[in-house]
Amino acid sequence: MGGKSFKDILWKIFRFVFLGFMALISVGPLVWIVMSSFKSNKEILSSAFALPTSLSFNGYKAALDLAPIFKFYGNSVVISFTSTLLNILIVSMAAYVLARYTFKGSTFITLLLSASLLVPTSALLMPIYKIMMGIGMFDTRSGLVLVYAALGLPTSLFVFKSYFQGIPKELEEAAYIDGAGFYRTFFVIVFPLAKSGLATGAILQFLTSWNEFMFGLVLTKSTEVRTLPLALNYFTSQFSFNYTAMFAALTMVILPSIVIYVLLQEQVTTSMVAGSVKG
Amino acid sequence: MKVKKWKLASFLLPCLLLFALIYLAPMCMVFGSSFFEWKAGGVFKFIGLDNYINAFRNDARMLTALKNTGIWVVLQSVVHVMLGTVIAFMLSKRKKGWKVLRTIYMIPNVVSAAALAVIFLNVFNAQYGIINSFVKTVTGKPFMKNWFFDQNSAFITVTWSWLLYTGMIIILVLAGVLSIPEDVVEAAKIDGATDMQINMKIRLPLIRTIIGTCEILAATSMLREFELIYLTTNGGPGDTTLNLPLYLYKTSMTDNNYGYANMMGVILIIAGVIVVSAINRLFKMNEADY
Repeated sequence: MGGKSFKDILWKIFRFVFLGFMALISVGPLVWIVMSSFKSNKEILSSAFALPTSLSFNGYKAALDLAPIFKFYGNSVVISFTSTLLNILIVSMAAYVLARYTFKGSTFITLLLSASLLVPTSALLMPIYKIMMGIGMFDTRSGLVLVYAALGLPTSLFVFKSYFQGIPKELEEAAYIDGAGFYRTFFVIVFPLAKSGLATGAILQFLTSWNEFMFGLVLTKSTEVRTLPLALNYFTSQFSFNYTAMFAALTMVILPSIVIYVLLQEQVTTSMVAGSVKG
Repeated sequence: MKVKKWKLASFLLPCLLLFALIYLAPMCMVFGSSFFEWKAGGVFKFIGLDNYINAFRNDARMLTALKNTGIWVVLQSVVHVMLGTVIAFMLSKRKKGWKVLRTIYMIPNVVSAAALAVIFLNVFNAQYGIINSFVKTVTGKPFMKNWFFDQNSAFITVTWSWLLYTGMIIILVLAGVLSIPEDVVEAAKIDGATDMQINMKIRLPLIRTIIGTCEILAATSMLREFELIYLTTNGGPGDTTLNLPLYLYKTSMTDNNYGYANMMGVILIIAGVIVVSAINRLFKMNEADY
């Protein structure tokens, strides 16, 4: 018995240290960034771990002077919201038809649309750039909205389709008997019923758009339309010697995501599980 | 209930159009133009398989990019998934604070990868980064290793920025383990199975398809990885940390060598299909068992 409990204690210590180390490397860097954003350049260079001597907002002032961060914020919000709305509307309509009706080619369409999940999107970088140039959507917010809405297409399709399949048909049949048409039935009866399924897709789509970097980098060039993650690209060169400003900018970029995640975490977690486990 | 065909079509059409514009047309362009010499300034000439032959015969950068991408796919699908699974099993005991830990581990996965890249650039900074400051404090001697830009440490430092951040795996595996019916585990306990035996022989096999999903996510994420390299080492020093997506980006956006870049696109797509079907087969993803 004695040996066993000794082993138990060792195991407990190991687990504590291991989980603690993982937690430290997960949030340690972020805490350090936020803390350093209130320090002066000199403090950052002389002592990395020390708490700031006084709460200085100079870094934030400098960051906002050097780069139009609020403009980037605005663009990120507008682009992420619009692409989420577009994705939900378009994909839920298609998912509804594919979930409810079988017709010639319906299986083929489902397969075709889900196959896009297999494509590493970086492979399509160059053609998408050319197409956006070709249809005059290069360096526009609408161009990014279209691309982002498409990036989430396969995941949303999967989530919505399985959700619609879980809604009993009887309600729709009753609506038809009452004389409601196809469109009315979908938008007035089915859409509200599928609220939580749609929310799941929406959260995933929003996070994808909010964090996307590569297409934003390639498909835009002016500060007028660029999004928040791209602001960072611009910071690393702009602030190369103004560390406080860079730390302040980083804080402004990461804080909203963290706050939103911590507030909505149950919902976000469920969405991520639903969106990944594709059977 | 009979619905007119054109009404169904009107619901499908917007989605199909978006798909055609962002997936189908680009896919056709990628495959088609990979057989052409296509460069800025109107060069467009059919050259058959030359792009592919050049890539494997004469292009050392291509081989480096392929090798690095391959190493990262393997590391991510072995180490990353295993680490996340172990943590998830530890948390599944629901000891005090497990929900807080789950949130903490997930945070690096919810902030944008671009922000994470710049954060790591600072953490590993030679002058004021935490790592070097820590070494300095412990040893009392000045320590100026330039982690991201030193030939010997660049690869491992870049790898660090995604290998240990397993929040997504933890969430998926944890959801799987917690959904296993209690009576299955209880029965084994009554038969005298140890905790370890229950984990290895009962819980792990029961969440096989979830582990498979994690494998697919982890492996394919490495076929997409871009910003954590682009914003830190940008493939350097030399080509030590170059991967396929970054090489594709440079070939098309900097060198304007479109046909050659699209050949890499084809290789990425084929690699994706191979990786996913291999994992599907290995984890018998299409057979349900409980």
